[in-house]
Formats: sequence, C-alpha cells, structure tokens
Amino acid sequence: MTGVSLSRWTMSYFAVALVCLLAAEILMVLGYGFPGAPLEASATLVLVHLIALGWLTLLLCGALFQFVPVLVAKPLHDNGLPLPTLCCLVGGLALLLGGFLELDGTLAIDWPLLPAGGTLLALGFLLVLYNLGRTLWAGRPLPLPARFVTAGLVSVAVAAGFGLTFTYVLGGVTLASPLLAVTAAGLPLHVVAGLGGWLTFTAMGVSYRLLAMFMLAPEQERPTSTAALCGGVVVLLLAIVGGAIAVLLDRDPAPVLAIAALLAVPVLALYGYDVVGLYRRRKRRKLETNSLMAAPALASLGLAALLVVVLLAFGELPRFAGAVVYLLAFGWLSGLGLAQLYKIVAFVTWLECYGPVLGRTPTPRVQDLVVEQRARKWFYLYFGAVWLSTIALLVDQPPMFRGLAVPVLVATVGLSIEFARARRLVDVTASLRLPPGARQPHLLRAFSPKAEVMK
Amino acid sequence: MTTRYVDLDVRPVLKAGGEPFAAIMAAIDRLNPDEGLRLLATFKPTPLFAVLGSKGFAHEETEIGGGDWQVLFRPTGDAPSGASPLPTTADASAWSAPVKEMDNRDLDPPDPMVKILAATEALHEGEVLAALLGREPIFLFPELAKRGHAWRGGFEADGATYRLLVRAGAGKEAAP
Repeated sequence: MTGVSLSRWTMSYFAVALVCLLAAEILMVLGYGFPGAPLEASATLVLVHLIALGWLTLLLCGALFQFVPVLVAKPLHDNGLPLPTLCCLVGGLALLLGGFLELDGTLAIDWPLLPAGGTLLALGFLLVLYNLGRTLWAGRPLPLPARFVTAGLVSVAVAAGFGLTFTYVLGGVTLASPLLAVTAAGLPLHVVAGLGGWLTFTAMGVSYRLLAMFMLAPEQERPTSTAALCGGVVVLLLAIVGGAIAVLLDRDPAPVLAIAALLAVPVLALYGYDVVGLYRRRKRRKLETNSLMAAPALASLGLAALLVVVLLAFGELPRFAGAVVYLLAFGWLSGLGLAQLYKIVAFVTWLECYGPVLGRTPTPRVQDLVVEQRARKWFYLYFGAVWLSTIALLVDQPPMFRGLAVPVLVATVGLSIEFARARRLVDVTASLRLPPGARQPHLLRAFSPKAEVMK
Repeated sequence: MTTRYVDLDVRPVLKAGGEPFAAIMAAIDRLNPDEGLRLLATFKPTPLFAVLGSKGFAHEETEIGGGDWQVLFRPTGDAPSGASPLPTTADASAWSAPVKEMDNRDLDPPDPMVKILAATEALHEGEVLAALLGREPIFLFPELAKRGHAWRGGFEADGATYRLLVRAGAGKEAAP
C-alpha cells in the first residue's frame, strides 16, 4: 500500500497557466483576434492556442500530475519529469505562436518556427503520456474517473498528432498528399480531439472524483457514470475516426461531426445527472466556494450543449461556432479550472506546510488559508461577464464583447491574487502561520525531494 | 498433521457496529501450536491477513453467501503463535490489539487525517490505533511514513468504509 506525495512541479504549471490566461485576456481587451478578426486569422490562432495549450492544457497537466496518483492510489511514476515536460510544452508553445505570426507576415523572418514548435510540443506531450501512462498502468484495474482520464490522454495524442501534421505541412516540411488533405479539412477534428476529448472528457472524469471528495459524497460507481464513459468514447471515436475517414476519402466531415454532436447531448445529460446526484447526496451540507462555483461551470457545459442543438436545428452552427467554443473554453473549462484551483492551491499548500507538524502543535485549517467571501465576488464577476460575452458573440457585437473582456480580466487578476495569497499564507492568523517545524512553501514548487513510499 | 480449528464468529459484533480486532487477537493468542482459527465475518477481512501472516498464519478465505466470509487461519510453523501471547515492543512483525478506536467516517476532510496524526502522537512505540474512514487516506500515508509509523488498511465489503490500523514507530522525526 502506498501513499501519494505532493507533486513537485504542479504549482509551476498552475503559475505559467495563469500567466497565459491573463496574457490571452489582455489580448482580448486589446481587441486582438476573434471576434475582431476572422476565426482562421493568425491572430485568432495565437489567442486560441494561448488559451487551449498555455492555460487549459498546462492547468490540466499540473492537476493530473497531482491527482492521477490520487485516482489510482499509486505514486506518480516520475516526480522530476514534469519540469523538463513543462519546458518542452512552454518552449513549443512560444515557437508555435511565433510560427502563426510568421504565417501572416507579422514576424518577417523565415525560420521554421511552426514545425519546431509542433515537434517540441509533441515531445512534451509524449513525456506527459509516458509519465501519466506508467502511473495509470501501475494502478490497474482502473477506477472509472481514471478511465475518463485515459480516454482524454488518447485524445490529446490525437489532437497533438493533427497539430504536428498541420505545422509540418504549413511549415513546408512535407507535401505528402494525405497530410495535405488532413491539413486542408482536418481542423474540426483537431478541435474535437483537443477541446472535446482531451480537455472536456478529462475534466469530466476528474470532476467525478474531486466533487465527491470535496463534498463528501458517496463514490460508488453508478451505471449512469459507466454509460457516460462508454457513450463518450463512442462519440469521440465516431467524430475523430469517422471524421478522419471522411477527410481521407475527400468527403466533408461535417455530417459525421453533426451526428456526433447530437449523440454527445445524452452523454452530457448522463454526466449532468450524476453530478447533480453528487451535490444532492453530499454529506457536507454547507458548500465550499470551489464546489459552489463549479455549478455555474457545469451549467455552462449544459448551456453549450443546448446551444449546439439549437444552432444545428437552425443550420447556424458554422456561423456561431465561435460563441460555442468561447462558452466551453471560458464558462465550462476555465470556470471549473479556476473554481478547483481555489481549493487545490489551498489544500496542497496546507498539506505541504503543516503536514509535518499536524497533531504536534496547533495548526490552521485548510479554510483558514483563504477568505471565501472575498473570492466569491470575483467568481460572480467572472461568470457574469463570461455569460454576457457569449451573448455578445451570439448577437454579433464585437465591441460589446471587447468591453466585457475587461471584467473577465479583472476577475481573473483578483482570483490570481487570491491563489498567491493562499500559497504565501498571507491570510493565516500570524500566531498560527508558521509553528515550529513548519516551513513557508515556495510559490512555484513543492518541497518534495522524493516520493515517500512505504511498502 | 491435521489442523484443528477453533471457531470465532465476529458477525454479531460487526453488525452491532463493534470492532472485533481485540477479540480476534485474543483468540489467536489462546490457540495451541497445532490449532487454527475459523473466523466468520460480514466482510473479507483483508487487513487481518497481513497482521496474522506476520504472526505465522496462512489464510484461506471463502465467501459463504449473504456477503459473509469464512477465513481459515492455519499455523504455518514459521513463527510462534500461541507460545508468545504478547509481542514485545521491538518486534517489528507483531501487531497488538488497538489501544484506541476512532470513527472518522463523518468528519470533513482533512480532519480525519489531523485527528489520526494527533492520536498517534499519544501512542507509545508498538501501540496500535484503529480508525474507520470514509475513503482511503492516501495523503496520510506519507506523513505516517515520515514519522516512522507502520500501517495496514483496506476497504470493507460495502466498499464505503476504510478500516485503518496504525502502529506507532520509534517516533522518527519528520523529514527536514
């Protein structure tokens, strides 16, 4: 029987991720990229990848390095590897963004930035897959949330594979005709694998466990959860494999993707039913901020599903795809991420700082590291502004969207300050802050020389 | 040599919400060298296998219906069983009956962990603490290891209650 130690570099992932989110939000305030520019413009590609890779992927990777071991009750395979992995992902992202700017001539240089960025990112993802794959392998038979994560990891490999292909073709490295066909028509598949399979499906799996853990809800595997897993895998296979076959046969993948989108609705309904069940059956009656603020994020996922159905019915999905993606990225994924970060940062910091002296001297509680009332107002501002921004996109009002980017940015800055305060123990009563034997945690990494494992 | 089995049915104790560990250890201590124990329980008592294994008993478990289990503990002759009823504190392989029982199932995390660590501070070396938990305390284990304590644990048949035994070590200080 083994225990789970703190993931050493998770805080670094969270910090870089937040920097990327803030950078993207500043660009949105400045009117850079969509909706001021077309969806396929280089500026939009910069913005989208800053959010999808820089913010959401790094956030999820940092969280998985800490929580996959929790899901399977095994230590992380290699607690040192996440640092070189982070360097590959961040370096690859920087090169990729440079490559996008090269495409439209903003950067007037002729370096192979796109293929270099794609390669470095692929290497980073290989390291993620190796480390988490080995950890999951050691934890077989896998509990249900870990199976969601496994499907998510397969999806990120697919998304990265498409991405790598695009960078090689657009960077002029290869002209092989199947790869040209994939680049010409494969963008929706890249988005589905990344946003749907990797980010959404993984977040669903992790949320089953995190919500149950933090709300003290029973964790028995229910038939509806298994159905959501199986249905989700079928939808992803249909969209990605079916879509890829259509592309390679020189057909439009849109009908297959539309069917997959419709089939995703009952899967999300099953997930929603389970999550509502977790809230209902919880033993912790008074909801903490992280569980309370996960609710608007989950509602955003439901709203996005509803929006897809309505837009498909009116044949307007292509025109408003940007609004759906925005609601998924900011309302659902970022909203859930920020809400859970609020708890994870405080809990991990508490464990790192006070774990060694628990029971030996008075220590603060986890909730003493944060001031929930202060954080809640930032969450209300964040979700309010994100929902209004979605409406701005649906009524085609880019200036309104740009104006609303300001409160989104302000709320994110406010929350980032709250996370840093928790990490630095600023809100803990001075007399309890650092009892003898406790040490002030470093802002960016955990003191965890090696996984303590007792056989 | 055929093993003669002494019967011990702890199902009434378990159904009444009790902790039969002390009774089991007492029964083990009363056995003659050629005797084994036939234990009847309402779940598969996984934590007990390691504890009694270290006292020189092989086990053979059978589900007997209604969620109940029969486990035959047979002396292997590798270690003394009845000869040395109470382990010495220095004996790393022996677990005594718990001196403290805790039910932490309804506490908000991380309180179960805090309470267990506080309780282990009051234990003398070799003393055992038993605790019921709502989930596997994975973040507790590294802290127990740092303090030099040993532990055994496992889920009961209902999959919802985790039974943990902690044996206090020599009070090794936390890693710097």
